[in-house]
Amino acid sequence: MTGFRLADGGRIDRRTKRNFTFDGKARWGYAGDSLASALLAQGQMLFGRSFKYHRPRGILGAGVEEPNALVTVDRGPGRVTPNLRAPSVAIHDGLKAVSQNRFPTLKTDLIAVNNVLSAFFPAGFYNKTFMWPRAAWEKVYEPIIRRLAGLGDSPTTRDPDHYDATYAHCETLVVGAGPAGIAAALEAAATGGRVILIDEQEEIGGGALSDPAQWAWLAEASAKLAAMDNVTVLSRTTAIGHYHQNFVVAAERLTDHLAVNEAEGPREKLWRIRAGEVVLAMGAIERPLVFEGNDVPGVMLASAAKTFALRYGVAVGRKVVVMAVHDSGWRDALALHKAGVNIAAIVDLRRDVASDLIEGARDARIACYQGYAVTSISGGQAVKGVTIALAGFGKGQQLDCDAVLMAGGWTPTVHLWSHAKGTLRWDEAWGAFVPDKTHENLRCVGACAGAWSFGKGLPGGLLPAPKPLHESKAFVDFQNDVKARDIGLAVQEGFRSIEHIKRYTTNGMATDQGKTSNLNGLQIASGVLHRPVTEIGLTTFRPPYTPQSFGAILGHHKEALFQPLRKTVIDDWAASHGAVYENVAQWRRARFFPQGSEDMDAAVARECRTVRSAVGVFDASTLGKIEVVGSDAAEFLNRMYTNPWKSLEPGRCRYGLLLGEHGFIIDDGVSARLAPDRFHLTTTTGGAARVLNMMEDYLQTEWSDLDVWLTSTTEQWAVIAVQGPKARRVIEPLMEGIDLSPEAFPHMAVREGRICGVETRLFRVSFTGELGFEVNVPAEHGRMVWEAIWAEGQKHGAVAYGTETMHVLRAEKGFIIVGQDTDGTITPDDAGLGWAVGKKKPDFVGKRSLARPDIVAPGRKQLVGLLTDDPQAVLEEGAQIVADPNQPVPMTMLGHVTSSYHSATLGRSIAMALVAGGRDRMGETLHIPMPAGTISAKVVAPMFYDPEGSRLNG
Amino acid sequence: MLLIHCPYCEEARPEVEFAYGGEAHIARPVDPSTYSDEQWEEFLYIRSNPRGRHHERWRHSHGCGRFFNAVRDTVTDVFETTYKAGEARK
Amino acid sequence: MVEIAEIAVSAAELKLGTEPVQGDGVRLSHADPKARYSLRARDAKVLAAVIGRALPGKIGDTDGGIACLGPDEWYALLPAGTDLPRVEGLPASVVDVSSRALGLVLEGPGALAVLSSGCPLDLAKMGVGRATRTVFETVEIVVWREAEDRWHVEVWRSFATWLWNAFLAVMPHAK
Repeated sequence: MTGFRLADGGRIDRRTKRNFTFDGKARWGYAGDSLASALLAQGQMLFGRSFKYHRPRGILGAGVEEPNALVTVDRGPGRVTPNLRAPSVAIHDGLKAVSQNRFPTLKTDLIAVNNVLSAFFPAGFYNKTFMWPRAAWEKVYEPIIRRLAGLGDSPTTRDPDHYDATYAHCETLVVGAGPAGIAAALEAAATGGRVILIDEQEEIGGGALSDPAQWAWLAEASAKLAAMDNVTVLSRTTAIGHYHQNFVVAAERLTDHLAVNEAEGPREKLWRIRAGEVVLAMGAIERPLVFEGNDVPGVMLASAAKTFALRYGVAVGRKVVVMAVHDSGWRDALALHKAGVNIAAIVDLRRDVASDLIEGARDARIACYQGYAVTSISGGQAVKGVTIALAGFGKGQQLDCDAVLMAGGWTPTVHLWSHAKGTLRWDEAWGAFVPDKTHENLRCVGACAGAWSFGKGLPGGLLPAPKPLHESKAFVDFQNDVKARDIGLAVQEGFRSIEHIKRYTTNGMATDQGKTSNLNGLQIASGVLHRPVTEIGLTTFRPPYTPQSFGAILGHHKEALFQPLRKTVIDDWAASHGAVYENVAQWRRARFFPQGSEDMDAAVARECRTVRSAVGVFDASTLGKIEVVGSDAAEFLNRMYTNPWKSLEPGRCRYGLLLGEHGFIIDDGVSARLAPDRFHLTTTTGGAARVLNMMEDYLQTEWSDLDVWLTSTTEQWAVIAVQGPKARRVIEPLMEGIDLSPEAFPHMAVREGRICGVETRLFRVSFTGELGFEVNVPAEHGRMVWEAIWAEGQKHGAVAYGTETMHVLRAEKGFIIVGQDTDGTITPDDAGLGWAVGKKKPDFVGKRSLARPDIVAPGRKQLVGLLTDDPQAVLEEGAQIVADPNQPVPMTMLGHVTSSYHSATLGRSIAMALVAGGRDRMGETLHIPMPAGTISAKVVAPMFYDPEGSRLNG
Repeated sequence: MLLIHCPYCEEARPEVEFAYGGEAHIARPVDPSTYSDEQWEEFLYIRSNPRGRHHERWRHSHGCGRFFNAVRDTVTDVFETTYKAGEARK
Repeated sequence: MVEIAEIAVSAAELKLGTEPVQGDGVRLSHADPKARYSLRARDAKVLAAVIGRALPGKIGDTDGGIACLGPDEWYALLPAGTDLPRVEGLPASVVDVSSRALGLVLEGPGALAVLSSGCPLDLAKMGVGRATRTVFETVEIVVWREAEDRWHVEVWRSFATWLWNAFLAVMPHAK
């Protein structure tokens, strides 16, 4: 039996018991206890097994720096969280905590054989050992290593919790609510500005929570803060990162401290805070000492023992030895003694210690060993005693004890300072990096600024020892199981920079980011290299400060709210008519409308046949639209598009091809001139925002003298395509003021008028090769007009068709889809669209690039049609094409299939492909090697149906 | 998240309202056909990519919609200044 | 192999509410139907003369239902049915976008917190009668502070369902 509950003291509520389980066994504590304090009070010293050697481990610290006591908390299905630090877990009734990394149990761990064999597991062991045989890696080594490695288990079910998120703004943000943070918050609040004070613990107070003398002040200050309207105090909130210009992200834990049945609302809340000034008052973390056996359960930080005693009323042992190199160890020893903890001895490597500390210890009848060092610990799963020796080399002397407290000095918590790219200064006297310069409106106060009152001590965490370094089991990084000798080995093998030593040894790379190990590792490397710490450098701190749930980072963006799903005004109609959807950019679009037991192929075949023989109705509302207005509108479009626009007469449409300045196709669409100074542009669905941005760019930055303005009208207009030989008959009865006769309204014309009583812009255009119209109506009327057209269509055997049918119909005509038949490296000529390039135009975006040597060189990939020798074989889109199917691998690939469908109209498959020198290969047979065998296909022009275009005039 | 001073709105606004627009002061030639292949390559693809002071374009896409220029330190991400499109290089 | 369950709630199932929703200190509703125009001109005077209305001079200001969103851009949010003339032959652009957006209204003492949950601007410092284009998380909006506790939010039609439901998700927790 080691730890126990002290008779009095602490901030726990001794009248309120809390029942919980640890590894399935019933345990209890008091309200206000942490999982660590409650278990310590019941004598639990063993909390976990180490990462690599599976060594027994106990509590090291009393806060977020804890590297050993990692637990999994189970709050029900989907609510299992691994790697929580026992000192930071508040207990509540029904808490289920489980230790990690043990197999099968905490006390009897079979993998601890690694510990016996630890001489074979030095730094870089995995990299060196599992090289051969190569095939064994995937089958043998990796699965075994993966089972043994890792901390805790990843969740395997969906997280049922909800997470909140918000932005917040304040004039002053204070991170850390210890005495320095509270003072800074009060000072800032007095000026009237908005103040946010955040702290990671259950209650504010920081170090003052472990100092009863400050409790009265703390209560008063807390009340004062709570009463101020301009102050927001957030406890259980961790500032996980500082980003540019004082943007601090913090996560507030809202329900994990409550019993499961009391937890309501979001589990966590992400605060995205923009602050005028940030004050960091994050305190300092005590440093362990590096000596043989420093990881045996019962060896812990002196400050942790003090917190357990004074804040939680728990003694960590019945007979405690303090190993100090720093005054703070003596002060903690005296405070522990006063709280009723039996301190058997204080060992200090220093010969000279302040007389008041020595007198204090004598008065408390504590034995003092100055100039001594602990050289080893006896005990495996718990401390049974300690060996000390003069200067670490003298004759060993045994002391009985059940806990050893380490006081190795203090490390300022500069993580957020470093996130903000603040520089650090090495302070030789303190043996620590302290904040130096920053370009942010940011300052550190209290212990994290190095302004502490912990007293003086020796820098350097490695205690002198009789054993040579390479034989010792003195740990530096407890969580990643890195020993001092691993750092020595890294240096011996030639690593010099701390960034490399870190990666080779993994020192500081565990989930605690080296909160207790970085400085010791650095100083050991410095010692072995005989170079000052400042020349070795410090590794970079990166967010998050402590491990953070993905849930809070997602906030509300999960499941249905993950991202907007854009629907057209006709989407509901499609849903009620059995549409199967596909997503295109952020839109969902009806892909096809199966009837009865039809599969996609059957539905698409029926839709295609009906459009070609009668009429089909298609929701094209997602097309991007831009209204171009101004006296220079035609001039502007002439400069943007490849083809001429100035000559386009009002009332006419034109296919526009848009290149980037590099000469490659980036968008296309049919656009209409409504008036001399007004155009209605269309873009691809996915290109709408990109095209508008590109046009604004040219307009604002290159041709700002032009009188032309662009307005996105994508969502203003619902677009209903009516296509097929009977299209005119369907819309004719609904139209007012537009003469639909072929003479008055030819192909590629546009008219403004009314349909079903609302305004319309009616385009006579076709993406199917059939007689076709696109009815644009204001979106709010889209559904009504669609239904009217649908009703009229029923008289003519109309179908509603989706994007899949649209794709087949356009492929039959060889019309390209930008992004499917082009890939960002395709010029107009490559795509067979040379006709759309205005030869006489002096300039347009991308024109100069069309004359570049590689663009005019022979052998470029060109768009062609492919007809498979087997008319029923449908090629796979993306499949590679070769000339010689018998060529050994790697074969010479000529290009790939871009579009491929079964055409019901033609009763066979059709495909388009980009093929090197494709237009010179007409009639050639090429080959498409597939897993099930090679498919042969003949190169043809990419035009499979009605090449004369006679059907447009239906 | 950066705060970027929009020279048109005359206030600092959050980065998510903006879109980055690449290096600034690379004007499109009045007549690209007079450019040699090398000059055109330079215009299309060659960028200064400095460590330190960088002149770059931003667009206040989800704000006033305007393109403007900025001088940002690529090491610290600190904006030295922002100014309207068309104004002389700073 | 870890099996992850199917997404429990699909975005396709989100519905745009039609009736106002009253929460604790905040109410979400649809704005009255509006006529919307995008107005553009280098010279505000030309535009003002065409439409016969005054235009606010500074970005962020509003006047008579017209907000100045950019140096050459105004957004008119007028009673439904208001007709502005189409410009011809003048250096200006008037485009009817009445159908492009929907207006949502957040009102009450909790409205600011709901909007601030996803809008990165310091809205508490935005004056009554000011308007600006900005974002709510990834969705572009125009925010118009009509009164101390009343915010009109313009959003493109196809994003309105997401935004409505995003507001609903925050409303129970926003303080």
